[in-house]
Amino acid sequence: MPNETLMVMKRLREYPEDSWTLDRYLATDGYNNARKAVADMSSADLIALVKDAGLRGKGGAGFPTGMKWSFVPQDIFPRYVVINHDEGEPGTFKDRELMEKDPHQLIEGIIIAAWAVGANKAFVYCRGEFALGARRLDAAVAEAYRAGYLGTGLFDTDFNLDIVVHRGAGAYICGEESALLDSLEGFRGQPRLKPPFPAIKGLYGQPTVINNTETISTLPHIVGNDAAWFKQWGTEKAPGTKVMSVSGHVNKPGNYEVEYGMSLGDLLQVAGGMIGSKPVKAVIPGGASAPLVTDLNVGMDFESLKEAGTMLGSGAVVFMDDSTCMVRNALLTAHFFEHESCGKCTPCREGTWWKVKVLERIEHGEGRQEDLQLLLDICNSMDGKCFCPLGDASSWAVRSNVKLFWEEFEQHVALGRCPFDDHDEMLVGAHTGRGSGFVGEQNAGVGEEGV
Amino acid sequence: MSDQAPARDDLVTVTINGTTVQTEKGRLLIDVAEEIGNFIPRFCYHPGMKSVAVCRMCLVNVEGMPKLQPACATPVADGMIANTVSDEAVEAQKGVLELLLINHPLDCPICDRAGECPLQDQTYKHGPGSSRYVEEKRHYEKALDISELVVLDRERCVLCWRCVRFSDEIAGDRFIQLVDRGDGTQILNFTDDPFDSYFSGNTIQICPVGALTSKPYRFVSRPWDLETAPSVCDYCSVGCPLTNETRAGNLVRRQALPNEQVNDFWICDKGRFGYHYVSSEDRLTTPLVRSGEDFEQTGWAQALAVVAGKLKGAANVGVIAGGHLTTEDSYAIGKLARKVIGTKDVDSRIQDAGAPYELAMSLTGVAGSNATIDDLKAASNVVWVGPDPKESLPVLYLHLHTGVRDRNTDLFIVSSSSTSLDIHAAQVTRVAPSAQPAAIEALGDKLEGPTVVCWSPGYAGRDESPTLRAAVALAQKVGGKLLVCPPHAGSQGALDMGLHPALEAGHAVVAEPGRGTRQILQAAADGELDVLLIFGADVVADFPDADLARKALGGKAFVVCVELFSTETALLSDVVFPSAASPEREGTFTNLERRLQKLEPLTKPPGTAREVWKTCAAIASALDEDWGWHGFGDVWTDIKGNVRTHADVDIDKLTQEAPLPHPFDEQGFEGEHPSPLRMSGPGGQYPKGHRSGAPFATGQNWPLSWELRAFEARQRPGYVFPAPEVTEAPAMTSPEAVSEGSFELLSGRLIYDEGAMVSRSAALRGLQPDPFIEINDSDAKRLGIADGDPVIVSGAGNEIAVKARVNGVAEGCVFVPYDQKDCRANRLMSGVDPCVEIRKADA
Ligand SMILES: Cc1cc2nc3c(=O)[nH]c(=O)nc-3n(C[C@H](O)[C@H](O)[C@H](O)COP(=O)(O)O)c2cc1C
Ligand code: SF4
Ligand code: SF4
Ligand code: SF4
Ligand code: FES
Repeated sequence: MPNETLMVMKRLREYPEDSWTLDRYLATDGYNNARKAVADMSSADLIALVKDAGLRGKGGAGFPTGMKWSFVPQDIFPRYVVINHDEGEPGTFKDRELMEKDPHQLIEGIIIAAWAVGANKAFVYCRGEFALGARRLDAAVAEAYRAGYLGTGLFDTDFNLDIVVHRGAGAYICGEESALLDSLEGFRGQPRLKPPFPAIKGLYGQPTVINNTETISTLPHIVGNDAAWFKQWGTEKAPGTKVMSVSGHVNKPGNYEVEYGMSLGDLLQVAGGMIGSKPVKAVIPGGASAPLVTDLNVGMDFESLKEAGTMLGSGAVVFMDDSTCMVRNALLTAHFFEHESCGKCTPCREGTWWKVKVLERIEHGEGRQEDLQLLLDICNSMDGKCFCPLGDASSWAVRSNVKLFWEEFEQHVALGRCPFDDHDEMLVGAHTGRGSGFVGEQNAGVGEEGV
Repeated sequence: MSDQAPARDDLVTVTINGTTVQTEKGRLLIDVAEEIGNFIPRFCYHPGMKSVAVCRMCLVNVEGMPKLQPACATPVADGMIANTVSDEAVEAQKGVLELLLINHPLDCPICDRAGECPLQDQTYKHGPGSSRYVEEKRHYEKALDISELVVLDRERCVLCWRCVRFSDEIAGDRFIQLVDRGDGTQILNFTDDPFDSYFSGNTIQICPVGALTSKPYRFVSRPWDLETAPSVCDYCSVGCPLTNETRAGNLVRRQALPNEQVNDFWICDKGRFGYHYVSSEDRLTTPLVRSGEDFEQTGWAQALAVVAGKLKGAANVGVIAGGHLTTEDSYAIGKLARKVIGTKDVDSRIQDAGAPYELAMSLTGVAGSNATIDDLKAASNVVWVGPDPKESLPVLYLHLHTGVRDRNTDLFIVSSSSTSLDIHAAQVTRVAPSAQPAAIEALGDKLEGPTVVCWSPGYAGRDESPTLRAAVALAQKVGGKLLVCPPHAGSQGALDMGLHPALEAGHAVVAEPGRGTRQILQAAADGELDVLLIFGADVVADFPDADLARKALGGKAFVVCVELFSTETALLSDVVFPSAASPEREGTFTNLERRLQKLEPLTKPPGTAREVWKTCAAIASALDEDWGWHGFGDVWTDIKGNVRTHADVDIDKLTQEAPLPHPFDEQGFEGEHPSPLRMSGPGGQYPKGHRSGAPFATGQNWPLSWELRAFEARQRPGYVFPAPEVTEAPAMTSPEAVSEGSFELLSGRLIYDEGAMVSRSAALRGLQPDPFIEINDSDAKRLGIADGDPVIVSGAGNEIAVKARVNGVAEGCVFVPYDQKDCRANRLMSGVDPCVEIRKADA
């Protein structure tokens, strides 16, 4: 029976009643690792440690974190650390849980990262809808200031650090790191022309390190142990663990922290298997951007999924059973990207619009045979031609639906209607136009309970 | 760039479509490729602005890169191998065009841009033949008026961001912006604020589709019906090169011509839209000779005989010229005055009467600048002494404010009234005019590195000698250069040609200076003048003492006026000669950096109107002096032989463009379709594209409507005069006493005023602000005046009623814009350094 490997989710699993409080945090080894880093380790030691551990970014691209830090130019100050907590990828809800239930772990990670890159100010860019998480983080930051873990002279050194919690306004594109920076600076959230990369010229034109919430939450564990300890899990190229947000037609949807490389089938077992033990029709392995897979033996790590023609992305895994209409799935995904395209570049702005129009026609029985090729052509006109990965990715998702389920698309055209008459409403929103909820109840709505 | 460049380490070698070239490091692939004949299609890229790479039209293959790269954002690197016409690149370009077109309304038949539309042309060249898009297109309200001058059609917009980048990067005013996002992204002005930029027309010109169109030009012509000639703006002394464009003989459009040494790619809206004066009802068409209260229309011979008769017996003759005359006109006026009539009482300073340009000579050798606009751009420090250049020298303002952001210029401002540059400045000294010299001197210790000190004659009627003396001394002290900014397009040329009581043509100092404008008018008013000759100057409207001007014209002197319009001055004269406007004539203007640039004729003057130099030669001839001037060339032979500063000018060179760096013309479109319609003017090698009336060419050598892009490459550099030896400035008599009053009157210009040309340009009529004055906060408090209150300003026995704006004018001063509607500041002035009283108007 495959199992979870708990690291960043350990505390919140063990102490669900108060995992977010400072008391609980301190009682479970809290802030000792930040003290160790700041008081006992040099910035170079830290960067070397993180490089050795092979930590890779968990926001989507999987970029080696230590290497990213080492790009910061030696002699330019101030620098900033920015935490990407925008988590807008459909199907992804891991950062949300980490922030809501273990905000001090994130703060401790920020202290470590800031010390490593020589920043005295960090910003947490928090997805606008995440009200509870933002409140808990605000409260935790206030607690940390009071307890002397933030502010001036941290851990009896002359290291100072301030954290600013900033709430976004609900645009997926603001999760893209350079759009995030523009948004943080008060401009339209749109990606910047690169180079220069943020590590060289980022927030307010200064060197800036941007990391995902989960990436940063991992740091205290690496500092508290060592690279070898961290590498006992995962694959050679992707050591450690990853929180997978599992949803769709599974018995126990939710976040599961597993070793990199666990097979998709095992992950399904961890999540309790398919509802009613129905067969798996297709799986989205890494968020809405990722092309579908059907082979459950594929390993859940960057390299294996890449070989399978798809990607791990942010680790959002959606299992779909045979009641799922793939045209509707494609339409829903296309809707999402149309709604979230920032409009900066031609292929994405116009291509996402067009794909929705064509898919809507097919789903509503007005498709033409030539529309299938048209969809692929639109995807070709976008793939690799867009300004940022959002537009490129929007083409991958639709293309894989069309290619893998060509016959199902043809069936829609031939029948002049959707063959899945009264399938369950897993994919809410498809008929209501711009639906943004991807997996129904599972990820809908934000808990407004108090801190 | 010189032809035989020495070995340089800033060069890289790149190979584009198999051709290997050397070029400067850091240049953009899109430019380098174009230079060697590979035009990469583009929408968002514009050479005058930063790349944003949003349209994705310019994607090309670069070896070693996994994905196609946008050529507009890819700097060339040593060893780079690019393919701009690979199957992959061409397919991508087709794809982007198909996507751009799905929501495009394709209303070319009713679109002003059709025929010179980059979208249309690139679709012909690179696009798919038909659309696969069958759904409803995106709709917006069509033809939105976003200002008095600009109409926006968001359906046509391809969201290239050029207009918003221009607003942000160049104009710095951000009146239009991107709003909304995704497929709902649109260009828009904010809520109720119109697109009230002084530079809005540039966005029309650079918009690659018909989304932004010009109200005055809407539905007026088709590009292929236009005839175009290169010219120079006839308003201010920046001297922006522009086109005049006619349809069936009527001037219907002006567009910026690029010259990176003068205006980059931009002109202001006054220059662009202020052309309707040319066809104004008020234009004079025949000579007029007074008979009693009225004028009689006469032939030239008759009027000339009358004038010659008066001049022959005259002992005292004064000559006054305006600021919009060409070099040739000014030379002719000077020659007529000094050589034929034999008077030294010659001046060309009207509104700037008494402006002490001659003081610059101790630094520059001329009554003018030794700095160029390029110097200004390269300087680390720029000192601006004068009123707001955004109002009086708009494109210079662009250079000044972009310098601060883009070129790290430190800007120091010494001005008695607030300026648009204040917010960009490292230091602003806001003091009364009398304290300006000390403020300028105090800058001496602050300026390190290359410095340009700019002086623009600030406020009409004031003696600015101490200020300019201090500015010259500052430039001298820090080893900097001086940029002297006379007001109008012809002002510097007039100084060059000796229309100044102390200077003959070529800035030769006259032993005994003659009388200046003020003394000439005073003499006429006092009955001491026999004949007063006025060339292109409305002294009643423009001289800073309206009553004196009226008295002068009403006195016993016989007044001859050479004018475009029936101005107040013309109507008070005895003989009036009609003259030709700048689009109607060949000529040259010298701008504020002393660059000589050429105007080519395009339209015909109305009636028997003619160039002023011809009128002067005719008067001379009537006085039995034959100058032997049969054409423009003869005037220049004369100038070169007699004006030391102009001896080396090769006038033919002024008509030549910088060589076209790419070979389109030789092998391409033009060669295949010899043009039936030549561009006017001897420089007429402008690329014609559609304008030739030729059918679309879809060959490899297409650039079609990118004629403007090719214009960009074909700048006419003009000729910058080297300054002669430094001379001592001639001593001029000091002005008279200060007039009484509690506020010092500062009167500077606004961009849209009641000037003779602007006020007769229909498109600009609605743009004048309601008359206002500006006073200082503490003065306002003292007088109980709040912002927006109506006030009465009185001086020289006259009053005007206006609204007060309370802002940052120096204490004890009031700023009264010079030439406002029904509210002329020159009525409040008498004598030098005028003062006025202000009181709150009774409710
Ligand atoms: C369209 C788009 C959306 C993204 N959204 C997120 C996001 O919500 N959260 C996130 O951490 N990274 C997101 N990313 C990835 C970030 O750009 C960036 O790679 C990441 O924050 C780096 O952190 P990491 O190295 O720790 O993964 C997004 C990227 C793109 C192109
Ligand atoms: S691909 Fe282009 S339009 Fe789409 S989100 Fe990125 S920059 Fe914006
Ligand atoms: S209005 Fe014109 S210039 Fe502005 S974004 Fe649209 S197409 Fe470009
Ligand atoms: S800045 Fe001066 S010269 Fe240039 S267009 Fe405007 S008025 Fe004409
Ligand atoms: S011209 Fe290069 S992307 Fe627009």
